[in-house]
Amino acid sequence: METFFTTSEKIHHMMKSIHLTKTLFVSSIIIGDKYTGKKTLARHLFPEATIVSGENQEEVQMALEHHDELIITDFEKLSNQSNFDFSNKRIIATANYIGNATLIDDLFAFIYTMPPLSERPDDAHYLKNLFVKEALSILMIDPESIDDNAVPLNLTMNAKSLKKDIFLHLMQRTMNAQEIENVIFHYILKHLDGNDGYREYLGLYEKPLIEAGLKKYGSQLQLSQVLGINRNTLRKKIHEHNID
Amino acid sequence: MKINFESFVEWDNSPFILFNNSGKILYLNHAAEILFGYVSKKELYDIALCYAPHNFGYKSTTLSLHYDSFLFHAITVGYENEEQISLRLYNTPRIKPAQKLQKEKLITTDINMLLEANIALFKTKNKNTLRLLTDQDLPPFKIDQNNFSKLLRKTLDAFRASDSIDISLKLLIGQHVIIDDKKEPIVQLSIKANGRYVDTDNEIQHLSTQSQIKSLLKEHSITLEIPLIQ
Repeated sequence: METFFTTSEKIHHMMKSIHLTKTLFVSSIIIGDKYTGKKTLARHLFPEATIVSGENQEEVQMALEHHDELIITDFEKLSNQSNFDFSNKRIIATANYIGNATLIDDLFAFIYTMPPLSERPDDAHYLKNLFVKEALSILMIDPESIDDNAVPLNLTMNAKSLKKDIFLHLMQRTMNAQEIENVIFHYILKHLDGNDGYREYLGLYEKPLIEAGLKKYGSQLQLSQVLGINRNTLRKKIHEHNID
Repeated sequence: MKINFESFVEWDNSPFILFNNSGKILYLNHAAEILFGYVSKKELYDIALCYAPHNFGYKSTTLSLHYDSFLFHAITVGYENEEQISLRLYNTPRIKPAQKLQKEKLITTDINMLLEANIALFKTKNKNTLRLLTDQDLPPFKIDQNNFSKLLRKTLDAFRASDSIDISLKLLIGQHVIIDDKKEPIVQLSIKANGRYVDTDNEIQHLSTQSQIKSLLKEHSITLEIPLIQ
């Protein structure tokens, strides 16, 4: 069974309400941004229910004919919403946005809104820890080698951006020189064309080199000595790469 | 042959009250007994005095009186001596609902559970203080769960900005509604607050009518009289 963690009071009320209607034949919809856990919550509360996606109109229509209990995801993608009859069926739909508000109001008895992760700081931190553990296990990284505070909390796309940035962060911090070369190799292989490639792609190496150097050594004078290049050359390159 | 009319008056559907000359009730029929749950003795006595005929006898007056869900369109006030005065109020006929209740859509439901689910939904959006007084012993009865849930959602939403909300759910003792020629008891859901929105009143009325629920929409309250069909 799918589990759902939350400390949000709002979601607790939502879960209580859905839980109470579990045995009733009512239609409910959870509306909220992408990757906020709508489908996970629906599956957690209705583990036995058949799941269909609004991306496939025919499949939804068929499922409605054959099932009394149904989870319909991506409800906003259905174009024939007004034809549905949810009478005496247990429907739990999820949608990324409300679409036709009057129609939604007419079709569903219970209309819930799922708050984004940015409004649920405790949930975001819980998910962050969960994703970090998952990433460490998948990438086979020693947990001791990681600085927890440096792991980013990107909530711009809720759980998706959060998870993606955690994986990227952990991969970047544990790559060796050969792996970095491989990344650059594949990037250049895909993108290299035109007639100014050398200057254009040199930045892939030069820019992070200077940025990291400035962060580490503070002054341009000191960095030029560490890099073994002329100060004027370094200044020119800083200007070229628009480094602050 | 002397006919005793007392039992006919007693079981008349329209309220009948007999006052003495100081406003004390000497007799009231069954319908009047229910009415006194909603209006004071003094108010009805004052009406009787106000609309009494100038001389001994009886006078009927057409007027519109509203006491909660009771609607009257006329009264008759009469007196035959200085000691007693009678008041009879005439029920306004109820308009028969155009829509027949689709009984196949009705499912036996624990109304308390549905109400609680709707309160939880309301709490996901609002932080208002809610007080709930309910009769947990109400038997499950048949309703259109989806339609009734929509009605509850909209009814509660009308109180979204109210400071404190009092919800009560009870069986209306002694009152019935006729649905499909069958006498059904009435469950009353009443929501009161210091004020409310009226933007969805039409929808509340429409959803109520669909389920043969009587809705009373007032400035500070909404009352739903739900037939207890078993």
